[in-house]
Amino acid sequence: MSEYVLLQDYHPGRTTSLEKYRRRGGYEGLAEALRKWSSAELRQVITDSGLRGCGGAGFPTGRKWEGIRQDAPLPRYILANADEMEPGTFKDRLLIHASPHMIIEGMILAGYAVSAQKGIMFIRPSYETQARIMEKAVEEARQEGYLGTHILGSGFDFDIKIHRSGGRYICGEASAQIKAIQGMRPRPDKTFHMVQHGLWGKPTIVNNVETLAFVPHIVRKGGAWFQSLAEGENNGGTKLYCISGKVRRPGCYEAPMGTRLSEIIEELAGGMLPGCTFKACLPGGASSSFMTREHYHIAMDFDSLKAVGNRMGTGAIIVFDQNTCLVGATLNLIEYFARESCGFCTPCREGLPFTRDLLRRIEAGEGEESFIPLLKDMCHFMTHAYCAFAQGAATPVHALLTFFEEEVREHVRRKKCPYGTTHRWPGTGIEDSCRN
Amino acid sequence: MPELIIDQRKIVVPEGTKVIAAAEQLGIMIPRFCYHPALGSLGACRMCAVLFKEGPVKGLEMSCMVDVQDGMVVSTTDPEAVAFRKWIVECLMLNHPHDCPVCDEGGHCLLQDETVSGGHGLRRYRGKKRTYTDQNLGPFIQHEMNRCIHCWRCRRFYQEYAGYHDLGAFGIGNRTYFGRSEEGALSSPFSGNLVDICPTGVFTDKPSRFKGRRWDFERAPTLCLNCSLGCNMVASTRYRELVRMEARLNSRVNGYFICDRGRYGFQYANHPERPRRPTVDGAAAAWEEALHAASERLQAIREKNGRQAVACLGSVRTSLESQARLALLCRNQGWPEPLFFSDPSLSRKTRTAVSRLDSTLAVSMKDMEDADLILVVGSDPINEAPMLALALRQAQRRGAVLAVLDPRPVSLPAAFQHVPIRPSRLRSALCALITNAVPHDAAKLADPGRLQYHQRCARVAAEDREIMEQLAALPVQLRKSRRPVIVCGTDVVPETIPSLAADLALLLKQVKDDAGLFYVLNGANAFGAALLSPPDEPSGTMIENIENGNTRALLLVETDPFNRFPDQRRLRDALARLELLITVDYLPSPALSMAHIVLPACTAFETKAHYANQEGRIQTAWPAYEGGTPLSQVSGGTHPPRSFGDDLPGGESRNACRVLADLDAKLSGREENRHPVDLWNRLEERGVSVPRDFPWDENPEVSARVSVRTPEQPFSPGTLSATHDSVTDGAFSLLLVEWTFGTEELSSCSPAARQAENPPFLTMHAEDAAALGLASGDMVLLHLDDTRLKLGVQVAEKTAKGILILPRHRQLDWQGISRIPAMLFKKHIERTEA
Amino acid sequence: MTFDDLIKGLRKQISETHHPRELAIDVMFALQNRDGYLTDRGLREAADLLGMTLLELEETATFYDFIYREPVGKFVIHVCDGLTCWMFGGEAVTDYLCRKLDITVGETTRDGLFTVLPTACIGYCDRAPALLINRVPYGPLTPEKIDTILADLKSAAFRTNGERT
Repeated sequence: MSEYVLLQDYHPGRTTSLEKYRRRGGYEGLAEALRKWSSAELRQVITDSGLRGCGGAGFPTGRKWEGIRQDAPLPRYILANADEMEPGTFKDRLLIHASPHMIIEGMILAGYAVSAQKGIMFIRPSYETQARIMEKAVEEARQEGYLGTHILGSGFDFDIKIHRSGGRYICGEASAQIKAIQGMRPRPDKTFHMVQHGLWGKPTIVNNVETLAFVPHIVRKGGAWFQSLAEGENNGGTKLYCISGKVRRPGCYEAPMGTRLSEIIEELAGGMLPGCTFKACLPGGASSSFMTREHYHIAMDFDSLKAVGNRMGTGAIIVFDQNTCLVGATLNLIEYFARESCGFCTPCREGLPFTRDLLRRIEAGEGEESFIPLLKDMCHFMTHAYCAFAQGAATPVHALLTFFEEEVREHVRRKKCPYGTTHRWPGTGIEDSCRN
Repeated sequence: MPELIIDQRKIVVPEGTKVIAAAEQLGIMIPRFCYHPALGSLGACRMCAVLFKEGPVKGLEMSCMVDVQDGMVVSTTDPEAVAFRKWIVECLMLNHPHDCPVCDEGGHCLLQDETVSGGHGLRRYRGKKRTYTDQNLGPFIQHEMNRCIHCWRCRRFYQEYAGYHDLGAFGIGNRTYFGRSEEGALSSPFSGNLVDICPTGVFTDKPSRFKGRRWDFERAPTLCLNCSLGCNMVASTRYRELVRMEARLNSRVNGYFICDRGRYGFQYANHPERPRRPTVDGAAAAWEEALHAASERLQAIREKNGRQAVACLGSVRTSLESQARLALLCRNQGWPEPLFFSDPSLSRKTRTAVSRLDSTLAVSMKDMEDADLILVVGSDPINEAPMLALALRQAQRRGAVLAVLDPRPVSLPAAFQHVPIRPSRLRSALCALITNAVPHDAAKLADPGRLQYHQRCARVAAEDREIMEQLAALPVQLRKSRRPVIVCGTDVVPETIPSLAADLALLLKQVKDDAGLFYVLNGANAFGAALLSPPDEPSGTMIENIENGNTRALLLVETDPFNRFPDQRRLRDALARLELLITVDYLPSPALSMAHIVLPACTAFETKAHYANQEGRIQTAWPAYEGGTPLSQVSGGTHPPRSFGDDLPGGESRNACRVLADLDAKLSGREENRHPVDLWNRLEERGVSVPRDFPWDENPEVSARVSVRTPEQPFSPGTLSATHDSVTDGAFSLLLVEWTFGTEELSSCSPAARQAENPPFLTMHAEDAAALGLASGDMVLLHLDDTRLKLGVQVAEKTAKGILILPRHRQLDWQGISRIPAMLFKKHIERTEA
Repeated sequence: MTFDDLIKGLRKQISETHHPRELAIDVMFALQNRDGYLTDRGLREAADLLGMTLLELEETATFYDFIYREPVGKFVIHVCDGLTCWMFGGEAVTDYLCRKLDITVGETTRDGLFTVLPTACIGYCDRAPALLINRVPYGPLTPEKIDTILADLKSAAFRTNGERT
């Protein structure tokens, strides 16, 4: 590992203080940018660095920032997305401990880049501890003059609020998040462009907190440096890879973008647990495909994964061993997605419970051969939902039927789960009941 | 204009049209649930998926979300699209109960239609269906949530289109629930539209529940007669009973919707006490006998007292044909011309309005949506003409500024500025607006008459020192507007206001891109009544003429003077003095019970007739059935009597037009007098331009406006004369008003509509209440001239001071007022216990 | 803080914000903490404070996982049933809790102390199997650890007057 950028000060169980952050050059990037650069120049630096969004889509950050027109109205918003509800993902949680001020500095720089005055961090309820850390850090930053009016003697004003979510996966989607902040029922909405009519109808940039955390470093050390950190061509920077499942040392590790999967598993995570051999993994959280041994050495970057029909997503790796039933694993994911579907469009709202029912029966040994083509069709149809949620949910199902169809057939043939997993249907009536 | 190909057929449509709408123009109804032309595209149901084969868009996309572009090639029948849509239906049916046999929607259910045409049949989902607990949503709407397919139409209509917020979506995912946060009647007066737009049976019509299947009904296009807007409806009848109303599309008038007063206010046609047989002196008689008796007695009076002794009163709720026939009858018989309004003041206001509404100024409710500022003068839309409020809201959603000048605590489902002023000050308000919004530009007001008028307006405005402050930003907004519309009521306004409003509209039209005028009249066919009223003012009111013996016989045609007359005792005495009272009507009214001869008339649902709405739009109502006593009333709930005959039980009612023709023939002894009236000739005679070649009856959707050829003179000095307003110290003037439910004549006889009535109460300004020692919720005894009312008090902030607002409510015995305007003092308002 | 102080504080916060609606969830959380769950009365107060209609708030409140519109115990246990936790015995955790507390998922113990609800994935996959109690994370869990946690909470509840953190 050449150099830690985001996790340079990370200590499990501790939160990095402002002093420590400053000792490492914290807020110097901000000072420099405010002193030397215009907003346009800052945007160019980020564009040239090749920084890509870390929230799952991998969209080039500079291009996103350039989306706001010069004459677009004020105020503008920077939305730092700390909703992080993709199963297997916990990097943002760790990042907040590792350096809350790094995120804050990133937000302020993003604000400066697009002439935004207000920053909001949107954070999920299970991260209450982290929300308090951020609130404390924001207050510290205010007192030090990094937030407020005339930041560091410049003409730039910016302030940050922490916004707590009520808790739903769909709030991680940008247009749904806007509605959530506005006190409305969240749902994805394609009728407006975020950069034109985002939060409260004003230009808004939504970035994942990991993405924002890179910004101060790029500002201080330059895009070329950022690109040099990575492995492979067309990659830049480092990435926070989460790894969990049947490995010795589950955790979040910072490694060069493009590090091989095998390296992450064997070196960073200490290899498989005793007695466990690698069967498959989900390389990018729950909305990615099962990756088989065939691609065990694949470079973990956006393009490499896309090239093999998979998806990097949040870079959250979940590792399965030879004793894990992948039907059960897929069913677990679909239970989650069916529960979290916002309910706006038909394929997701009804298609996921339909899929869930079929997988439940297969896992319980009550499946039939006809379920397999039916499930394949449904995966295909679910790609025509309103937003990418259903498509993401369908991805592991499709992968199961593509790479592990035999495992599915075995469940059907033997009329039980060959791994002996008994997945208890949560038949408590909670998700089957009507209004609260 | 982009051109595209859909299913191998070319079509050119305006820019901005969605593919689904373009297809509709080709007669291709792409399946849909969440898309609705009035609500727009949503993209939620995914049912309208089609395959884009060529052009700027490719692949499976939702036709409601895609704007047409040149070169698009679309296939609705491609196997991929068909398979996808079939799966969508399967998904929607996952939780759908097998309710069709017991669901009212069956037979006119969009879900049924799309399921069958989509090709879905056998269930592959074996899981449990999610179920819900239903709510009691009031007397109009039946709630059955298990059937919901989450198309979101109800919430979008209720909240976004109509602007009410007591129905919404709760929960998440496929457990999402549409209902109220607490059980209870829906507060929107447009709630009935949920029944029309819900594509399944979640929201069904409660009053007509289980009364029949769509194919059991005889249905016809008809009109609502419960206000002057003339919304289009479809009537359904079964077993000689008018069962339900649905909204009918009219793209110029009411769009896709109607209000609850119209939807549920029709049951007077089924009233058990409705007159169905002619009676003479209280005894049932055959038609011949009754007509003979009427003719004889009328002739006797004519001989004894002269032709002037017979007076006729038509109405604002009767058809153009009947109104014209009545005028013809009077002319043929030498009687004085018929009146159509029992209130001369109302008559004058309506006739002025009709006269001033020329074709350059008249706007429809649909036109109003394009306005950028709408000023409502002396009208309370939700209470007087509810659909107008809905049209105002659509204009406001598109950016229009709304303002209301009215003494009442007006509320609208849209943001608006309310200037609560007494009726007598509407004059100075309008003058202030004329002065400030229309530039005093000599070149534009080149006509010296106009200039002088403008100057007079300025003087009038200056006399009212507080008016500019109260109007606040409105004058500036009116000045800045490009396409304003003036809406003017004819109920609470002083007599000069309708023409003053028209003058304002005319002046605005000169200096703006466009300007419009819209009157709210008092009755379904008040426009027609005004057109066919005698041009000259009769001497003395109808009641005065009876009292002084000039009138000895009175013929009432589909009217009941007791409906609005403020002094019931005086009216009763007067009618009792008559030697002959003949009523032709279908309502069991107080006047009817006093009549010597009763001739039962058909309702609008039993005969074809024309009505002119407030805009002068002549529309046709078609008969839905032949009439007759509802079977449920004949049989008392059991099997109908096993007797057979040719006649229609209780079906003796006749078209009023025909009755008058028969009477005419009998009286004159000339058969040629029996001929049906040539309505268009009659209108032409009255100075109305009627488009002759217009295909009036070809198509229920078709209608055209008429207007008076020579309107009243604009900018007349008389328009600016002051209204006497005795604002003596401590005096309150009583303002009699209309409410959505409970005051309108026809809907008040409808049991379903009665269920929506609020108990009547007296409204006053907070300061007045304080002076009287009253608070909201207190009970008072209101001492009127001839009656004492006990009712509750509501205190309002945004209402005119010095005014007590009393609804002309059916549940109130309010008609004991001998002088209008009525002035009350503190001693007349006595606080009392409940 | 007294209840009055809480309302005053919320009012102040709302008056100082440009968009009161942004505080909708915060207000609901605050009243939820005060009353144990978001009661009908609490919802009305929230509507009043925010200038929103009851329906709008109810529509929003019923959407979310962490807003409780029905009574819950003093300690709400959200057991993670996400994928990694599942691989490490998440179902066993749920079963153990339910047996120990003698309730099923969704129920509250008779003494009003504990409610068990499912949720996934809480973002503690590196500490699987994990759960949240009043949003405080615990994991990796064993039956012994669960025993200790429950016992500690129980005694804490009896010591203080149970003010929720």
